[in-house]
Amino acid sequence: MKLALQLAYKNLIGAGLRTWLNVAVLSFAFVIIIFFNGLMDGWNQQAKTDTIAWEIGFGHLRNDAYDPFDPFTLQDGHGKLPNTIENVSPVLIQQGTIYPEGRMVSVLLKGIETSQTVLEIPTDAFIKSTAKIPAIIGNRMAKSANLKVGDEVLLRWRDKNGTFDASNITIVSIFDTTVAGVDAGQIWLPLQTLWEITGLQNEATIAIANKNFVDASLDGWNFENRAVMLKNLDEIIEMKKISSSIMYLLLLAIALLAIFDTQVLSIFRRQKEIGTYIALGMTRAQVVKLFTIEGSLYSILAMIAGCIYGVPLFIYLGKTGIGMPQASQDMGISLADKIYPIVGVQLIVTTILLVTISATIVSFLPAKKISKMNPVLALKGKLQ
Amino acid sequence: MKNTIINLKNITKRFKVGDGEFTALNNINLNFQKGEFAGFVGPSGSGKTTLLNIIGSLDSPSEGQALVMGKDVAKLSHRESADLRNYHIGFIFQVYNLLPVYTVYENVEFALLLQNHTKAERHKMVMEALDWVGLTDLADKKPDRISGGEGQRVAIARAMVKRPEILIADEPTANLDAENAHIILKMMKRLNDELNTTFLFSTHDEKVMQYMERIVHLRDGEVEKDSIIVAEKDK
Repeated sequence: MKLALQLAYKNLIGAGLRTWLNVAVLSFAFVIIIFFNGLMDGWNQQAKTDTIAWEIGFGHLRNDAYDPFDPFTLQDGHGKLPNTIENVSPVLIQQGTIYPEGRMVSVLLKGIETSQTVLEIPTDAFIKSTAKIPAIIGNRMAKSANLKVGDEVLLRWRDKNGTFDASNITIVSIFDTTVAGVDAGQIWLPLQTLWEITGLQNEATIAIANKNFVDASLDGWNFENRAVMLKNLDEIIEMKKISSSIMYLLLLAIALLAIFDTQVLSIFRRQKEIGTYIALGMTRAQVVKLFTIEGSLYSILAMIAGCIYGVPLFIYLGKTGIGMPQASQDMGISLADKIYPIVGVQLIVTTILLVTISATIVSFLPAKKISKMNPVLALKGKLQ
Repeated sequence: MKNTIINLKNITKRFKVGDGEFTALNNINLNFQKGEFAGFVGPSGSGKTTLLNIIGSLDSPSEGQALVMGKDVAKLSHRESADLRNYHIGFIFQVYNLLPVYTVYENVEFALLLQNHTKAERHKMVMEALDWVGLTDLADKKPDRISGGEGQRVAIARAMVKRPEILIADEPTANLDAENAHIILKMMKRLNDELNTTFLFSTHDEKVMQYMERIVHLRDGEVEKDSIIVAEKDK
């Protein structure tokens, strides 16, 4: 093996430009695969962290009548939380309409405890405010409704009896989050205020669990833990990974095709050399091994070349992040202004194995032809 | 005392040509002793190279038995025939067949790499072989940086470095000018005398024939004449 490696290395280096072209393409494939996977992993982790911090907490206790994917359930999907329940922060969700600059905008009104700390929603702004009905909104909402801190806007809602009522609310804080689920089309109010204006005293639609919450069977309420709630996010990321993998698999296929092509050409052009190896005492299996190792060495050289420019690139991107365009912020899942690629050991090892094994297979396929070669004809360089 | 190291009994070799067959060798019976300096002479298509390929275990006869170093080449496995070539047979080719990406030193060393010698042993043996052919100064040169004559001398060093019992040279001077051809042949004769290696040539070059101690004339795959030159000279 050592001998075959030495010879294969010499042959590759001796082949000059042809080798380096293959190595360049393959190393590019290496870096792109790692980059895209790292980007997805970085996005995944950022999305999860932000979603947990801003929306999920340690899970949601949901009223049985409420389905977050069905807005029609908002009307009746709430109830009184049992007195025995602890370590949760109740949230009441109702529908409403605001009239910024004469326009009519449907919103979700979310009442949250002013003292809660489980979510990043800056509810302390309620405490500091002296407004009659203070409200907090996110950047997306502020932008779409053209609202800023200090603005008053007319809010209309229905109380528990179905009667419409209206009042001005004051924007006391605008928060910046990557999580659209707590921002787009939503207005956060103090829970006490929402209870009062709707008449739904002590009622909640959901309750955000904190780390000390212990799930116990509660009649009329259903608990979804963090893992379950993140399942959708995981599936979306996984789907995006698969779609991006098509691109890097194409790139890898091009690189492997280049190796395959080089191997076929090499075996065709180097028949005399193959005959010489056999005449000098190598077995055909040894020559097949030599050519296969030559092919797989491309991946080793590509890995080294990829490290030379890939490692500094990944370190740089890991520190500075990759800026995401503003338009992409409104897509279905949490997307930060910047994503920091995560290049882990598992990703690197998996990519190395994928590329090395693929390169070895595409090198072996043409090389196995050598085992059927007639050494006499090979020495004459005759096409076989 | 000489002993038989190549024993060819009723060797016939046929090749498929289209739907028919071409008989390249027909019932060849020959013996070669250790240390012989012999050549197969004949026109193109007479079977010289085919016979050398069978002796070198690169090919096997269609009929008959070729015993080389006591081994029947037709019955050897790939590994056994590779071992036979690796340890007992050296090859010199018409176009030298040097490995282009290796230096002169590495080309010569290649034969030893397959024999598991230590690096120090290999160095000693390679430098000795290069000294035999007078090329120690060119050890670091690549084959494309040396002349044809030097290239063939490297090929001789590569073939001889492992001290084989048999050296097979297929038209070794065909690509050389007269001066280089004589240098090469004298060198091979000297090695034959010093190391007692059996040299077998195929040639139709008069210059080569001058050096032969035995000439086997082949025509249409058959032995036409088998002349022991030294014996005649001795008379």
